[in-house]
Amino acid sequence: MNLGDAKGPQVTIRSIDHERKQLSFILWNCDLAVANALRRIMMAEVPTMAIDLVDIEQNSSVLVDEMLSHRLGLIPLTSTNIRDITYTRDCNCAEYCQNCSVVLTLNVRCDSDTNRDVTARDLISTNPNVTPYFSSEEDAGVVICKLRKGQEVRMRCIAKKGTSKEHAKWSPVAAVAFEYDPHNKLRHTTYWVETDALKEWPVGPNGAEEVAPGPDDPFDYKAKPEKFYFVVEGTGVMDPRDIVEKALMLVHAKVVFVVQDLQKLKW
Amino acid sequence: MPPTPSTSKEKSKTKSAAAVTDTVTAARTRIDHFNTLQRQVLAKNPSKGRPHHARIAALSAPHVDSFNSIFVHGPIASASGLLDAAIADLGSRSVFAVNTNDQSASLKNTPKIKFWFSSITVAKPQIEVGRGLGNSLYPSECRERGISYKGKMQAKLCWSVNNGPVQSDPRSLGHLPIMVRSSKCNIQDASPRELVKRHEDSSEFGGYFIVNGIERLIRLLIVPRRNHAIALLRPSFMKRGPTYSHFGVSIRCVRGDMSSQSMTLHYLTDGALQLRFSYKKSEYMVPVLLILRALQETSDRDLFMRITQGRTGNTFLTDRVELLLRGFQGLAVHSRQECRGYIGSKFHVMLDSPEDSTDLEVGEEFLKRIVLVHLEKDQEKFDMLIFMIQKLYSLVAGECAVDNPDSPQHQEVLLGGHLFANYMKEKLGDILDGICTQIKTDVRRFPATVDFQSKIYLSKVFSKVNCDIGKKMEYFLATGNLVSNTGLDLQQVSGYTIVAEKLNFYRYLSHFGSIHRGSFFAELKTTTVRKLLPEAWGFLCPVHTPDGSPCGLLNHLSHTCRIVTAQLDVSGIPALVASLGVGQMRGLGPKALASEVQNGDAPTKVDSDDEDDETDAVELDPRESKKLLQNNVVSVQLDGKCIGYATAATAKRVADTLRYWKVSGEHGVPLDLEIGYVPPSKGGQYPGLFMFSTAARMMRPVTYLPNNKTDMVGSFEQVYMDIACVKEDVVAGITTHIELHPTSMLSVVANLTPFSDFNQSPRNMYQCQMGKQAMGTPAHNFPHRTDNKLYRLQTGQSPIVRPNLYNEYGMDEYPNGMNAVVAVIAYTGYDMEDASILSKSAHERGYGYGTVYKSEFIDLAEKQKRSGGTTTKPTLHFGLFGENNVSYMSEEMKAKLEAFLDDDGLPRIGTLLNDGDPFYAVFDDVTQSVSVTKFKSFESAYVDEVRLIGNDDGSSELQKVHIKLRIPRPPVIGDKFSSRHGQKGVISQKWPTIDMPFSESGITPDVIINPHAFPSRMTIGMFVESLAGKSGALHGHSQDATPFQFNEDHAAADFFGDELTAAGFNFHGNEPMYSGITGQEFKADIYIGVVYYQRLRHMVSDKYQVRTTGPIHNLTHQPIKGRKRFGGIRLGEMERDSLLAHGVSFILQDRLMNCSDYSQTHVCRLCGSIVSPIAIASKLGSGLDSGSSDRLSESRDAIECLMCETSKGIDVIAIPYVFRYLCAELVAMNVKIKLDIA
Repeated sequence: MNLGDAKGPQVTIRSIDHERKQLSFILWNCDLAVANALRRIMMAEVPTMAIDLVDIEQNSSVLVDEMLSHRLGLIPLTSTNIRDITYTRDCNCAEYCQNCSVVLTLNVRCDSDTNRDVTARDLISTNPNVTPYFSSEEDAGVVICKLRKGQEVRMRCIAKKGTSKEHAKWSPVAAVAFEYDPHNKLRHTTYWVETDALKEWPVGPNGAEEVAPGPDDPFDYKAKPEKFYFVVEGTGVMDPRDIVEKALMLVHAKVVFVVQDLQKLKW
Repeated sequence: MPPTPSTSKEKSKTKSAAAVTDTVTAARTRIDHFNTLQRQVLAKNPSKGRPHHARIAALSAPHVDSFNSIFVHGPIASASGLLDAAIADLGSRSVFAVNTNDQSASLKNTPKIKFWFSSITVAKPQIEVGRGLGNSLYPSECRERGISYKGKMQAKLCWSVNNGPVQSDPRSLGHLPIMVRSSKCNIQDASPRELVKRHEDSSEFGGYFIVNGIERLIRLLIVPRRNHAIALLRPSFMKRGPTYSHFGVSIRCVRGDMSSQSMTLHYLTDGALQLRFSYKKSEYMVPVLLILRALQETSDRDLFMRITQGRTGNTFLTDRVELLLRGFQGLAVHSRQECRGYIGSKFHVMLDSPEDSTDLEVGEEFLKRIVLVHLEKDQEKFDMLIFMIQKLYSLVAGECAVDNPDSPQHQEVLLGGHLFANYMKEKLGDILDGICTQIKTDVRRFPATVDFQSKIYLSKVFSKVNCDIGKKMEYFLATGNLVSNTGLDLQQVSGYTIVAEKLNFYRYLSHFGSIHRGSFFAELKTTTVRKLLPEAWGFLCPVHTPDGSPCGLLNHLSHTCRIVTAQLDVSGIPALVASLGVGQMRGLGPKALASEVQNGDAPTKVDSDDEDDETDAVELDPRESKKLLQNNVVSVQLDGKCIGYATAATAKRVADTLRYWKVSGEHGVPLDLEIGYVPPSKGGQYPGLFMFSTAARMMRPVTYLPNNKTDMVGSFEQVYMDIACVKEDVVAGITTHIELHPTSMLSVVANLTPFSDFNQSPRNMYQCQMGKQAMGTPAHNFPHRTDNKLYRLQTGQSPIVRPNLYNEYGMDEYPNGMNAVVAVIAYTGYDMEDASILSKSAHERGYGYGTVYKSEFIDLAEKQKRSGGTTTKPTLHFGLFGENNVSYMSEEMKAKLEAFLDDDGLPRIGTLLNDGDPFYAVFDDVTQSVSVTKFKSFESAYVDEVRLIGNDDGSSELQKVHIKLRIPRPPVIGDKFSSRHGQKGVISQKWPTIDMPFSESGITPDVIINPHAFPSRMTIGMFVESLAGKSGALHGHSQDATPFQFNEDHAAADFFGDELTAAGFNFHGNEPMYSGITGQEFKADIYIGVVYYQRLRHMVSDKYQVRTTGPIHNLTHQPIKGRKRFGGIRLGEMERDSLLAHGVSFILQDRLMNCSDYSQTHVCRLCGSIVSPIAIASKLGSGLDSGSSDRLSESRDAIECLMCETSKGIDVIAIPYVFRYLCAELVAMNVKIKLDIA
């Protein structure tokens, strides 16, 4: 691959692992700042849905209200069609409405002698596009709490659109792996060694993508990082491809906003 | 057949190598698992039989067993306990029907009444229904209702008139507080399942009392070892009298009922020996010869021979004994009878003996009750006194060393149950005395009413005496104050009990192993008592002691240390010892014994020749030591009773043989018998063979090499034993024992520090403190607890890295922290000076989320009593309405209240209360109005529980409630966290995940700490934990972090490094990381791993203090102090100094005057006084008319100086208000302050 030929930043998809919700790609011919911006936006600015308000009618479980609400908030809700929902702050309604929120009800009572697990499966959504995420049909769902005979939870959960800047529950990614220069040719870092760096430092999975420098190769002090290895691991709320795509759109939108503002300036 | 010493030695030689099993290094190959499912099964289905974790259940053993011994104490499960022994020892009291102060009265034919207690019964706690008893009362109910856990106590009071027939009457002694899980407790043998049913934790181990709903326990206390004479050298002894020297031999004698009487034998420079003891807090001195002669009919020659033991060549000794014997001639009492009579005549009053007893009887009583009370026979007491005299002379001659009373060798433990029994004994005695006094009063004032034959009169007398011992015991437990007229032979009067705080489980369990030196030593200026002595090895934990004022005084038992509470059967020991060649003094006679010593006066020569040498024990060459062994005749004692004499060589052989029998369980030698053989030495400890079988001794298990069985070793004998720590330490032919594990010496909490052997030792001490301050899981029965304050970590985790003991103690049931990904890096500067950075996302996902529960009891009956209510009928009622549901409030008010309160006047569960919100409402019958109490708090809280509390049978109107409030405490900036290695710090910043550094795999740390936290503190254990945690997380198993598993050849870093390499990570635990802000790789690779973090209970929410204006002090007008009262923070002298040094005088004036007690006042320019200007009433009106707005200036004309009698010089100045106060105070002392006003 000849990087010099490309005009702008390029993306090479390496693999998609649906089971592990991972997308691995290489961003190349690109500046470090842009690559990091993409990473940060994927982590913190891609909007998703998450339960934000809980109206508790009845909670006789052992978990106290605030703990239960916190647990509900962390349940991943499918957010593929997030664009159809507006932010509450941009909506005209007073508190929340159909346009800016999705109501899920949790209504479980245990009447059997054995304990009852309340799981994400018990959350009933009013919007088929925004439901708790299950990895498969067999997935029993996240355990919210456990009920003993006679105990009951009855509550309305209001899911809202948000970003992870505000709270981690809105993050679409579990982690974003990010690496450049696997052989440390740029000497950005110094490996701490006892005897031999080559022996003590394992070469990562991205090491094969680049040619390891020979022991006598001269140091190119002008070189800059330009090939970035990403692995995006989603939480399941949206496809990792969506996450990257939406993040790129957000990068784009940010640039567009700057351009628009510049145009508004009067000289 | 007993093996000869040589065979047993050989055994130890041959077996020592094979005996040391794979305890130390072999364990590293084991892979640990979290056993989560197993624990879940146990939690769902608690066992119906044994406790889940035997070691946890054994934690309270010293407390529970000692309490049980009050009721049953003996080798066989007989009915007699310490209490029975106590009332037997108390004996009887007698009173006469005539005034005994009247000399003319004859006691011969007057009626005499004698009374005593014959038995005491204590019932299990029960609920009282009506007048009878109902169901069992359980501890959880006591906690919930805020009452005491106690059982009915009854005594049989017996009496006989003129030694006639015995009559008896059952008397109620009130309710005795009962220790939870003791033999009088309703959940004594409860299985975990039953415990859960009774609203307890499945691992509840008891050992404490419940007093007014609060759990309190009697702290273990260190006291001198009983029945063992120790040589002392105290300068304070010289203050006892003119010729007193600083030498003494002291012994603390303990009776069968665990009550004690100490006595000290003093050496006087004129050769006399005085025996000192205290009785009812007064001190008495008696010449020891008087007692010796009173004990046994002896001649001077006999005494001389007994004391010198035929060592007539030792002129030092013979001279002293001669002086002693000569000095006694002056007293002119010779025979045993005369001596007894003489003692009786002197101590009749002190002993408060019956008026009709003769001097001889009193003398006998004295010998029985005061002198060496641990012995029964006069002969035994005589022998022991002789031994003490010999030891004292030996000490004075410099032949033996001083014993260290601060060494655990000469110490034992005062157990809660024993103290409890002693205190009860004294109170029982007080009842008998009280009855005596009452009858005597009656005899004096109303002689006609006194009739011993009349049951009516006697029951009247009995009812006048306060018999409520239960209440006194409850007071003792509630306050820890010992209200006593004897002092119980103890050195302190308060601080005996402590609250078993359930702050977290570590703190809770460490209370039961804590052992205090005594509050007397806390005030001592010398620090010698605080020293960690090698004698404490294995008994007291060297790590687990607080720093600061209680350092070294408050210790903790090592986790293997046991305290003997049972009474051992040692009746066969004297015969056994005799069969091994120990001679009887009496049988042989002094002469015979002297001839047994091969070389007559040789031993004394050996010693006295070197008198000028240093007194420390010196190593002897083998020839000389052999001579020492053969020539020295030493005393053989069992529990402070001389059971024979033998040459040192024989004594050693006896000790070795007994030990073999003891461990192998032969010849009925109990395992808990302590066999302390002190070898003869030059200037070392006084030699002898001292055996101890009594309760309250510290014992610990070690492996006995000759037969590879577990031996119990006591703190006295350990000093002269050869115990190897690890198998490398075994020296063939010398080593007899080996430790079970090197961690045996650590307490439970110290054992829970992972890799503590890698840390600098003070850090492990800090962790022992911080582990006890962490927010964790204090209990599982939250809905049934009413503690004042409870801290709970909602998101606790099982640590990945845990020592072996963590599993054995089942600590997973009580998580105490969270596993955190920790990066050691200086990042953004917010991790300077021990601050740490928390990932905002980790926080949002629940990292360190805690809750505080606060409790409040509201008792209307008490309120009524306090406000002077007289009727027993309640006049206050919870509720928003009066009788017949008549509301006395406006609709508006009602609506406001109903948002928070129900009709019953109590808050709704789940309501969020803010400062000033209505908390509860009470209707008052007297004022016919509803009074609402407001919620006062710095922070808002949820109502978690409202508990309605009634009386025993539930028949009373609701007068008491308990409200539990829940305060959510998510971690905020300023909250304190720590790792398990004494590395504490506060959260300084919560960075969003995107700004946190990240590794190539996208991992961001939860916590960032600064690398500067390590070089000076050297907590390498934390690095190892990080490494182990990381590999454990990667491989999915838990890691064994037991200390002393690794060594130079098998390093921890290599072991975990290999594991990391196998997972594809760097061997050293480092990773290249990138800045979250720029995405640039860091110049250095970062040490990142998983460390278990504790959230400490110190939180800013409890500490922040801020004020602009607020309450001021009445006298000085300066802001008051105290956060609770909304006060300010003092800008003190040092702060003032620094402002002065900066030259910022305006700030200084602003702080010290304008923001503090700024005031304006009138001053008289003429005389310069600010106290003399005074307002003149007649002129006040004119001033008001002037229409000026300034209050001070408007009345200026109305002010006149008292001294100058004019208002000419009056002016107004600004001063700090305290200055005015100072001037006023000085006036009172005739000092005038004159101000020069420019």
